[in-house]
Amino acid sequence: MITSNKPVLIVALFAFIACAAVVICPLYGIVMISPVSILSNEELRYIFLTIRLPRTVVAMLAGGSLAVAGMVFQAIFRNPLADPYTLGVSSGASLGAAICITAGIGGSLFGLPFVIIGAFSGALCSVFLIYSFALSRDTNSSTLLLAGVIVATLCSGLIMFIHFTAGLHQSFQIVRWLMGSVDGVNYQLLITIGIPLAIFFAVIIPLMPQLDQFLTGDSIAHSRGVNLRASRILFITITALAVGAIVAVCGPIGFIGIIAPHACRLVIPGVRHRLLMVCSFLTGGTFLVITDTFARSIAPPSEIPVGIITAVVGGPIFLLLLFHRKSRLLV
Amino acid sequence: MLTATETDLIQIKNLSAKYGDREILKDISISVKAQECWAVLGPNGAGKSTFVKLIAGMLHQSSGSILVDGKSIHNYHAKRRAQLIAYVPQKPENKIPYSVYDFIMLGRYCLMGVLGIASEKDHAAVDEALTVCDVRHLAYRQMYTLSGGELQRVLLAGAVAQSSPILLLDEPTTFLDPAHDRLFFTALERLHAKRDLTVLMITHDINNAICQCTNIAVIKEGMLAFCGTTSEFKSQCPSILSSTFDIPFNQFVRNDTGTVIYGSWGVK
Repeated sequence: MITSNKPVLIVALFAFIACAAVVICPLYGIVMISPVSILSNEELRYIFLTIRLPRTVVAMLAGGSLAVAGMVFQAIFRNPLADPYTLGVSSGASLGAAICITAGIGGSLFGLPFVIIGAFSGALCSVFLIYSFALSRDTNSSTLLLAGVIVATLCSGLIMFIHFTAGLHQSFQIVRWLMGSVDGVNYQLLITIGIPLAIFFAVIIPLMPQLDQFLTGDSIAHSRGVNLRASRILFITITALAVGAIVAVCGPIGFIGIIAPHACRLVIPGVRHRLLMVCSFLTGGTFLVITDTFARSIAPPSEIPVGIITAVVGGPIFLLLLFHRKSRLLV
Repeated sequence: MLTATETDLIQIKNLSAKYGDREILKDISISVKAQECWAVLGPNGAGKSTFVKLIAGMLHQSSGSILVDGKSIHNYHAKRRAQLIAYVPQKPENKIPYSVYDFIMLGRYCLMGVLGIASEKDHAAVDEALTVCDVRHLAYRQMYTLSGGELQRVLLAGAVAQSSPILLLDEPTTFLDPAHDRLFFTALERLHAKRDLTVLMITHDINNAICQCTNIAVIKEGMLAFCGTTSEFKSQCPSILSSTFDIPFNQFVRNDTGTVIYGSWGVK
C-alpha cells in the first residue's frame, strides 16, 4: 500500500555519490593525479593505490560506521542528540587507547591489536556507566547528555594526567592522534579496522526492526515483543566495539554520528531503520572521505588532521539541524 | 494458537508487588477465562496500572505467580509473549516518528521473521486493522499530527494487527471527549465480535464497564475489593461504588429504556 520508489531511488543516488567519492577523492591531494597517469606513471600509481586508496576506504568505513553508531544510540536512548561523541563513548575509547599508547603495549590478542582492545574497553566502560545512570533515573534528554559530558570530562582529565606523566614524544603522539585523522593508513590497518566493523554490521543488520520498535516508547516496544534490556545491552556492547575500533585507528572524530542520520531523516522523513542505516552509512562515509580530501589538500605541504575539519564543518551543521523545525521531532 | 483454552487463560495467584519498600499490590488472585471481558475499577493510585503492567510482563512481582496459557509470563520468549498479549497504553510515552500505516505494521513484529520483511499476510492484517478501528482515512498521516481520539484508535489498531488473543488496555479513553470515547468502544465491540478476544481494561467509566464487560475487578489500596461477574457487581451497586471511591453514589434510571446507571452527581 505505502510503497513508493522514492526511498530506493534516494539510496541508489547516495550509493552512486559514495562510490564516486571513493574513486575520485584519492586523485586529489598535495600531489594531483590524473586518471590517465595512474596507468602510465608508476610513482603516481603507488600514491593512488598504496597510500590514498586504503586511506579513503578507511575514511568511508569509519565515517559510515560512526554515523550508524550515532543512529543506534539515538534509537535505543530515544534521544536525537545521542552519538558516540556526546555520550562520552569516544572519550572513553580515547582514554583506553591513550593508556595503551603510553604503556607502549604493542602486539595483539586473537588478531586484534591491544590498542583496539584498550579503546573498546574504554568505550564499553563509559557507555555502561551512562547506561546505568540512565536506568537509575528517568531517561530524559538532558540527564543523559549531562551524564555524557561528565564522563567525557572525567576521561579528558585522566588523559591529561597521562600527558603529564608521559614523555614529550609520547605526549605529542597522543595529541596528534586525539585530533582525529586517517593518515598513515595502509592495507594492514584496513583489515584491522575492517574485522570489528564487519562483526558490528553482521550483528546489527538483523536487529534493525528492533530499533524501529524502540522509537514507539518502552511500553509499546515491550508489548510488541522486544526484550528491551537484553536488546539495549547487545546494541551498546556491539556499538562500543565499533566505536573502539574506529577511535583506536582514527582517533575521536566528532559530529558525524549526529549529522549524518539527521540529514537522512530530513531527506526521507518517517523512515524505517533498515533504510536509514544504509543512507546514514553512505552519508557519513562520504562526508568523512570529502573532509579528509580537504584535510590533506588545503594547507600543503602539511596535512591537517581531519578531526579538526569535521568539527569546524560539523559544528555549524549540527546547530542548523538543531534549530531546524523537523529535526526537533526526534527521528 | 492457545493450548489451554479449557482452563483459565490468565491465572493470577497471591500476586504482590513493591516499588522499593512501598507495597503496591497485596495478595491478588484472579482467574480470567478465554473470551471474557474484564473491567478493572478503582481509585487513582490503587495499583491498577501496576496490575496490568505485571500481566503484560513489563514489571516483576515481589511474590505470587502470573500464569498465561499455563506458563509464567516471565518464562516466555519476548516475541512469543507478544503473540499472546497485546497492550495499549493510556498514551504513548513520546512522539512516534512514523506514519500511521507504518506504525500499525510495526505491530506485526512478533509475527515476522528475523529480517522483519512484511508479507502479503502482514499487509492484509494491517488493512483489516485499519477498517476495524475506523482509521483508514488516517493511514498516510504522521503519528504526531493525530488528535487524542485518533491516536487512541491507531494505538488500538496497532494491537489489533498484532493479532494476540489477549488485549490489555490501560485507561484507553481517559483523555477522549464523549464522541471519541464512543468511537473507541465501537471499534472495540466490532473487534470483540470478530475475533475470540480476551480483554482486560482499566477504566473509570463505571457505567460503560457495566454495559460492556462480562466481569469486574475492583482494586483499592492495592487489594482486591471485588472480583466477579458484572451481574454480581450490579447486585451490590451502588454501595460497593460508594465504599470503593469513598464518596456517595446513587442510581439513576433512563426514562426511555429503563436502564440503571450509577453516578455521584448531585449526591450530598
